[in-house]
Amino acid sequence: MRKPLFAAAILLTLLLSACSSGNGNNNSGAAPSENPSTNNTQPAADEQPKDGGNLIIAVGADPVLLNPNYAGDRVSLTIDQALYAPLFQVNNGKKTFYLAESLEPSADNLTYTLKLKSGLTWHDGEKLTADDVVFTIDKILDEKQNSFLRANFIIGGKPIKAVKVDDTTVEFKLPQVSPAFEATLVQVTPIPKHIFENEADIEKSPKNSTPVGSGAFKFKEYKTGEYVTLERFDNYFAGKPHLDSITYRIAKDTNAANLALQNGEINIKYLDPQDVATIQATNNFEITPYSEGRLSYLLFNENSDTGVMGKKEVRQALSYALSRDELIATAYMSGDYADPAKSILASDNIYFDNDVASFDNDAEKAKELLKTAGVSGLKLRFMTSSGNKAQEAIALYVQQKLKAIGVDVEIKPLDASAYGAKFVDPKAADFELAAAGYIMGYDPDAYSILYTTGGDANYTHYSNKAVDELFKQGAGEGDAAKRGEIYKKLQELVAEDAPVYPIAYTKTIVAVDKKYGGLQEAVLKPVVIFEDPSKLYLK
Amino acid sequence: MRQLIVRRLLQSVPMLFFISLVCFALVKAAPGDPVLSFVTPNMHADDIERIRHNLGLDQPGYVQYGIWLKDSLTGNLGYSLVNHRPVMPQIVERLPATAGLMGASIALAVLLSIPLGLLAGSNRNRWVDKLVNLLAYIGISVPLFWLSILFIYFCSIKLHWLPSLGMHTIGKKGALDVIKHAILPCSVLTISFLSVYVRYIRSSAISQLKEDYVQIQYAFGSAKRTILFRHVMKHVLLPVITLLGMSLGDLVTGAIVTEAVFSWPGIGSLGVTAVRGFDYPIILGITLFASILLIVGNLLADILYGIADPRIKITR
Repeated sequence: MRKPLFAAAILLTLLLSACSSGNGNNNSGAAPSENPSTNNTQPAADEQPKDGGNLIIAVGADPVLLNPNYAGDRVSLTIDQALYAPLFQVNNGKKTFYLAESLEPSADNLTYTLKLKSGLTWHDGEKLTADDVVFTIDKILDEKQNSFLRANFIIGGKPIKAVKVDDTTVEFKLPQVSPAFEATLVQVTPIPKHIFENEADIEKSPKNSTPVGSGAFKFKEYKTGEYVTLERFDNYFAGKPHLDSITYRIAKDTNAANLALQNGEINIKYLDPQDVATIQATNNFEITPYSEGRLSYLLFNENSDTGVMGKKEVRQALSYALSRDELIATAYMSGDYADPAKSILASDNIYFDNDVASFDNDAEKAKELLKTAGVSGLKLRFMTSSGNKAQEAIALYVQQKLKAIGVDVEIKPLDASAYGAKFVDPKAADFELAAAGYIMGYDPDAYSILYTTGGDANYTHYSNKAVDELFKQGAGEGDAAKRGEIYKKLQELVAEDAPVYPIAYTKTIVAVDKKYGGLQEAVLKPVVIFEDPSKLYLK
Repeated sequence: MRQLIVRRLLQSVPMLFFISLVCFALVKAAPGDPVLSFVTPNMHADDIERIRHNLGLDQPGYVQYGIWLKDSLTGNLGYSLVNHRPVMPQIVERLPATAGLMGASIALAVLLSIPLGLLAGSNRNRWVDKLVNLLAYIGISVPLFWLSILFIYFCSIKLHWLPSLGMHTIGKKGALDVIKHAILPCSVLTISFLSVYVRYIRSSAISQLKEDYVQIQYAFGSAKRTILFRHVMKHVLLPVITLLGMSLGDLVTGAIVTEAVFSWPGIGSLGVTAVRGFDYPIILGITLFASILLIVGNLLADILYGIADPRIKITR
């Protein structure tokens, strides 16, 4: 999960996608150990991978910057996944080592020792060593280099230290115990020291336009606005990739891109649920919904100037008036593309527990609770990002259901950027409801900024001292079992308080031309589509 | 004449300044900021603040504008706030795609609209006129993106004649390949320009045909075709020059929708992305280019007017 988190976030959450639509991001409630994506890919066993051939993947925009220290958008992350090899990856709870051979914490959990594989090389033939890893971490920590991973490496107010032990060994020294450190490190992908060593501002360096990575494919050509082509890297440490090249074709218009998919000009593309039937009818594509660890939820803004959302009974009452299944059918077409959500942790989280309080399907109870809270004639404002189909659907549904319990909902559509700005503005008090989504990764500590008092991304303005305390305990607890208990309790507590109404763990739907094999080995992965594209082949 | 050109160009300097100021103010007044385009919920507030500070976005608006103005006077249009590449090369590398597409479409539209417009105008209220008029109406009213999708569906999917995406086949170079990719977007744009031009030329032809000189030509027994293409056309060309002058600005920004649908790598799509990301250095850069072309276009139109009809004196 390196930066999938980011990407996800970016695309989805802030920009509102809240729910859906757009690029299809989502995530499922499947157990963390299962990869639901593999259910209808071809049986890999009876086929021998062939070498050669090209693959064209549709992306919705130009990459922002092909440098993993700055990639936060879905497109850059997707291309970087093939261009730069990560240290290790965690997907659906499974850890896979790439550049790294092992990562071991010391007995006191204050030092993590990372062993690199031997004989690693960059695309230009230079050796990839511990120096590169240390350089990458140093640049992330350098305040002048605009990396947005920096704060993750500041623990308890102090930065971590990366120290080279020998050419293949790096020690990370932590100022205090932090079980979430591994989830932070998984976001790091080394950049080449010998290329960027003398650059004062790496983000603006022209060298980013001819990236030198260590991944399965090396940079070949970028035509602005058209495509980025990568070609096979024969010295890839995990073995020569099967495909000769991968091209990421920039296709901004979804309808046109769907036509190009049918036409064979594109081989792989995300689909919106609404388009699945059309593409399926061609019978040329494997269509696979897979989890992205994304929670789609209804936000209750406790900071609203009416003050009503601060009352727990009101939030519970509003939740009682709704039905998850109906919401999923309304916003995501079918349960195939979204699993009912109750916990605030997404389904790929290591301590995910969906067995928590859910207030659902009970209009009578809702009315009762409103009465208890002494609230009547409630009027709420629902902020949506205009043009976001899923959000609009959710808003209309909520409006209709709340009417049944005597609550008036006024829908306030805003331009996408205005919506984004208001959503993250801690002072915004002129709305009570909004639909949104987030991808926060597999370690629950990342969620603390969403739900602790005064958290950086606490958009609901939720505050519960017990929850703050649990987050703090969880962040510093080295024992996995005890940590699990802490987060179980935390999930229950937050669910009871209902600061949000979790709707669904939504899924991404991807269509892959049946000409291609190796999908299972390549592993479908949130945000970047494939964890290891070197395994893909042309049948 | 030279004096006039210099004076007009000098006059446009304050105008460009004003345009950039208004653009900047509008971008700043809109809710949102470029940092939001890469903020994610799992980014810490410290990181966001630090990046905002490094980008100078925590400075007051007038300071930011001042810095931009100072830099651009030295020919440096700054760096994109989102991808951090310098603005100028980003515009320059995309300019040919848009200019080529728009140029070809406008040229085709003019070439086709003159005979069509003259034909319609000279056959007023007859079936030819009605047909041309009807087609022009359809061309004006049909949404471009819909027309584009329709073209892609038939020409690419059903008939496999033409590619539907981008400007090049992946990895291929060469003019022929580009032309093949340009046919569909160019046709769509030509239809949209053509429809407007035809109606312009038609009404212009109608009014010209009422003029005395036409009646005299008829009286002398000149053939209708000669009158139309030798005499009337000369006068009809004048409004076409105005149209062309105004179209020069479109060479930079004109094909936004079409570029998006056909993934044509032009300025239009760059601009849309920049607007969404509040990437003001890019927005200002594009606006300046478009404004300069518009000003130059109008000036050229004036000069051409003088050449086309020496009776028209260029004043002020």
